[in-house]
Amino acid sequence: MKNRNKYNTAEELKHSALLLPSVLLLLLFFVMPILLTIYYSFTNLALSGENAKQLKFIGIDNYISMFRDRTVRVSIINTLIFLIGSLVGQQVLGFMIALMMKNKNKVFRGIVGPIFLAGWIMPEVVVALCCSTFFGDEGTLNRICTTLHLPALEWLYIVPMLTVVLANIWHGTAFSMMNFQSALDGVSSDIEEAARVDGASRVQTLFRVILPCIKNTIATNTMLNTLSTLGVFGLIYMMTGGGPGNATLTLPIFMYRQAFVSQQLGYGTAISMLILVIGIILSVFYTRIIRND
Amino acid sequence: MKMKKLTALLMTAAMIISMVGCGSKPAAQDAAAETAKAEEAPAADKAETTDAADTTEASGDKTVITITFRDDGSTTLKDWFQNAYDTYDKKDSVEVVIAPITASEGDYFAKVALALQSADTAPDIVCEDTFQLPSDVAAGYLTNMESYLKDYKEWNDGTYYGALVDGVTYTDGSAYGIPFNTDTRGLWYNKDVFKQAGLDTDWQPKTWQDIIDTCAVIKEKCPDVVPFWCNSGVATGEGTSMQTYEMLLYGTGEQLLDENDKWIGSSDNILKSLEFLSTIYSDGYGPSLSKVLNGEAGNTSSREYMPNGKLGISLDGFWVTGNYKESGASPWENYQDHLGIAAMPTSEGQAPGSITMSGGWALSIPELADEKDAAFDFIKHCMSYDVYRDMIIKQGNISTRSDIASDPEYSQQPFMQTCTEFLDGAYYRPRNSQYTTVTTHIQTMVESVVSGTSPKDAMEQYKADVINSVGAENVVEK
Amino acid sequence: MRWKLEKGVPYIVLSVLALIFALPLLWIILASLDLNASASVHIPAKWTLENYKAVLSEQANLKAFANGLLISFSQSLIVVVAAGLAAYPLSRYELKYKNIFMYTILFMTSLPITAVMVPVYKMFLSMHLYDKMIGLILFLTATSMPYAIWLMKNFMDGVPLELEDAAKVDGASTLMSIRKIIAPLMFPGICVVFIFTFSNSWGNFFVPYILLQSIDKMPASVTLYQFFGQYGMVVYGQLAAYSALYAIPSILLYVLSQNYMSKGFNMAGAAKG
Repeated sequence: MKNRNKYNTAEELKHSALLLPSVLLLLLFFVMPILLTIYYSFTNLALSGENAKQLKFIGIDNYISMFRDRTVRVSIINTLIFLIGSLVGQQVLGFMIALMMKNKNKVFRGIVGPIFLAGWIMPEVVVALCCSTFFGDEGTLNRICTTLHLPALEWLYIVPMLTVVLANIWHGTAFSMMNFQSALDGVSSDIEEAARVDGASRVQTLFRVILPCIKNTIATNTMLNTLSTLGVFGLIYMMTGGGPGNATLTLPIFMYRQAFVSQQLGYGTAISMLILVIGIILSVFYTRIIRND
Repeated sequence: MKMKKLTALLMTAAMIISMVGCGSKPAAQDAAAETAKAEEAPAADKAETTDAADTTEASGDKTVITITFRDDGSTTLKDWFQNAYDTYDKKDSVEVVIAPITASEGDYFAKVALALQSADTAPDIVCEDTFQLPSDVAAGYLTNMESYLKDYKEWNDGTYYGALVDGVTYTDGSAYGIPFNTDTRGLWYNKDVFKQAGLDTDWQPKTWQDIIDTCAVIKEKCPDVVPFWCNSGVATGEGTSMQTYEMLLYGTGEQLLDENDKWIGSSDNILKSLEFLSTIYSDGYGPSLSKVLNGEAGNTSSREYMPNGKLGISLDGFWVTGNYKESGASPWENYQDHLGIAAMPTSEGQAPGSITMSGGWALSIPELADEKDAAFDFIKHCMSYDVYRDMIIKQGNISTRSDIASDPEYSQQPFMQTCTEFLDGAYYRPRNSQYTTVTTHIQTMVESVVSGTSPKDAMEQYKADVINSVGAENVVEK
Repeated sequence: MRWKLEKGVPYIVLSVLALIFALPLLWIILASLDLNASASVHIPAKWTLENYKAVLSEQANLKAFANGLLISFSQSLIVVVAAGLAAYPLSRYELKYKNIFMYTILFMTSLPITAVMVPVYKMFLSMHLYDKMIGLILFLTATSMPYAIWLMKNFMDGVPLELEDAAKVDGASTLMSIRKIIAPLMFPGICVVFIFTFSNSWGNFFVPYILLQSIDKMPASVTLYQFFGQYGMVVYGQLAAYSALYAIPSILLYVLSQNYMSKGFNMAGAAKG
């Protein structure tokens, strides 16, 4: 119904004028930085020292260093562990909660729902704070442990990756939960009922009927979570700073360390490129999924 | 409506849980609360400085000098500049804006480097750690001070210690800062703990093994005391490189650079230094990782553990005593009777027997500063005898002006003599503009070792990192 | 019996999960009301508002909140206006490049902004925007444009054309009809975009941390981070109070958005159907 205006170049330009502010902003502050990232990743740009004075084009040196750098490999692996841990945790938990919440007592849902949502609503800095105190030496978890006569442990140092993954799960589960809730509401109970009548068990119904029905939601949700998890910086930076050692060093943290702490901006942008490339590949997938929807 | 529901629910849940989890309150909490009170003061100061920054707009035709330094929670530097301004004879024509940066040490250097790149953000005076100075000079961020120094009497008559003047002199032979403090490092020990452990309170270890043996005794006799503390994490930044790693490495007779100015990427001596650290932590002589690997570790050990008898030995700088003075962050009555200082021995007691690293900070003028002349004049006033003396005593650091050494109030400070004596034969960090990058790799290496990576693996990683940063042609193996 | 068990198990599991989820948050609430707060959850011996008083009585903290509000509010406003304008031609006209444009936008929504901070900071230095509020706001605006345009366009698709046509007959300009007719009709959608942008911006600490320098310009997210790093290990009570205050806008906005979200999404849904 909205395609009533016939195509015409002059008209089209006139209509497009309204896009101008947005396009300008995007070009200047979105496209430009990405192009610059590509450019700087081929230079020796530094925050201080001789290189800060003289920007030199050094070809693919940064990329060569990157492939030789063991820390890059460590941070790729860490990024993957963080990613997969968070994804699986958030989605399985989010799905379970959504499934169990379905058709439950209204009052109960009203009590429990906001609690799950709270972690998601909280700003990142607060999440980091909550979780570092929770897992801290004198934190709540150790308090519980000692109450149960279990040894108190330095969680943030013994299992650092687990703590940041759990923190991210705490933060992100509600998002998946909401997505699954609305998807499950769309699964008509008739189909479920029918499967049940045919003698399918609960588990069978779940895997054969419900999951196939919401597979698009699962795909979109996975994609969105992957992309947002890939860029997580503040949470890890505040909780463990990438440490101890390199135990929770993910690509964004490594990028920050190289660029700003070790003052090698050029090398830092090469790592940025790695993050961007991963992001781009995932985005293409994501765009495809939406398109097919 | 929904909001109300949410809060109500959270509160109810809060009640239930705390009833379950509420046992007796651990003692540590009270200590934390105590320190909390002590910390409120610096927090309040932040408000004042912000006010100061606000007033710039209204400053009219006065010359405005902005001073940037790192807000580390102590008020010494802020008070210094304030006091200097209050006693400044050009007060009527000059306005001073105190603009500290609140950041961890590593972030501070990054923030300063960012600020120095633009005339809009460059302050007029910046506090530079002397290790960062060569790198910032190489980048063209700092003003060559030679033309100002010609007319600075104290600079030319030998009032400033020669070694410290060298510390701010770049390879072009020009000075780029006025050093305002220096320091030495050693082994601080709590005599009360030593007494309790049946150890001699007049302690001077001859080798690293002596230190470890002493730790073993403390651990056995005083199980609640942390035997040994040294900065060990990335978060403590340069403190980890200098107070810990370099104090060890230089004690083996090796340095960071070899005689041809190549970085040493791997060697037996690096391994030996890392193994010492590994022993400390794996034998349980060190503090818990959560205490030592965060940015506040230096304050935890010096302000909380040491004065409260929870720590035996601490490898740290002379400035820790600044905390114990009446005006300090953690006043400790008659601390000179409870605290001891021993020189850090060389690894096997080889000549010269003990070693220390020395560093310090300088006041520099950014290349892009607006008011260089006024800035230099104000620096001179900050460094004038009375103003400077008050600050250096309060900071508990070693003076860069030799004439202050004979000042009675200064020289009678406990430990001052011993620590100043350490300065003879002290080592300085390499004046190499790549040090700023290499030092971050040192910190990662040390943190890896104390959190369980084998010294060998950590060293291999360090070598790879250094090669990556400075190029294979600048790295050697020993 | 079995039936009862089957009914009961989800309730138990959910309750336990909720309890676990509530623990980290409870700490903030309880510790903020306790002068002797520690790192673990416990009931205060004496309930007090002193921590809140201490936080609020400090000029610097209020300034940080004001800065945060200024940044997030201006950003959201610009985003809503710019995205609203951009959505109009995308929703109302058949444009040759529309599909490519929309997919590029969609693609942009998913790029990690963290990765481009180094060049942004370099750009800001050369454009004299470093340590300027306006620079920060414009950059943040740009980063939220992609999803804002995407959402706005979908919401606008849900506004029927007929009313607009009537206005056109009366000689109203495009801008006028956006303002007078479309905007009121898609008000819930605009609110959703505004709220979304605001809460993302309010929670962002990395971007201002890199692009700002002066303490007196820092928003609450950065000062909370600094507070945490510097005094956090000791003044738990104040830290918790600060966090609680800082979280209030996020919670309020969420509750508000719940009101609009359902309407907004229904509209988008109606358009599809």
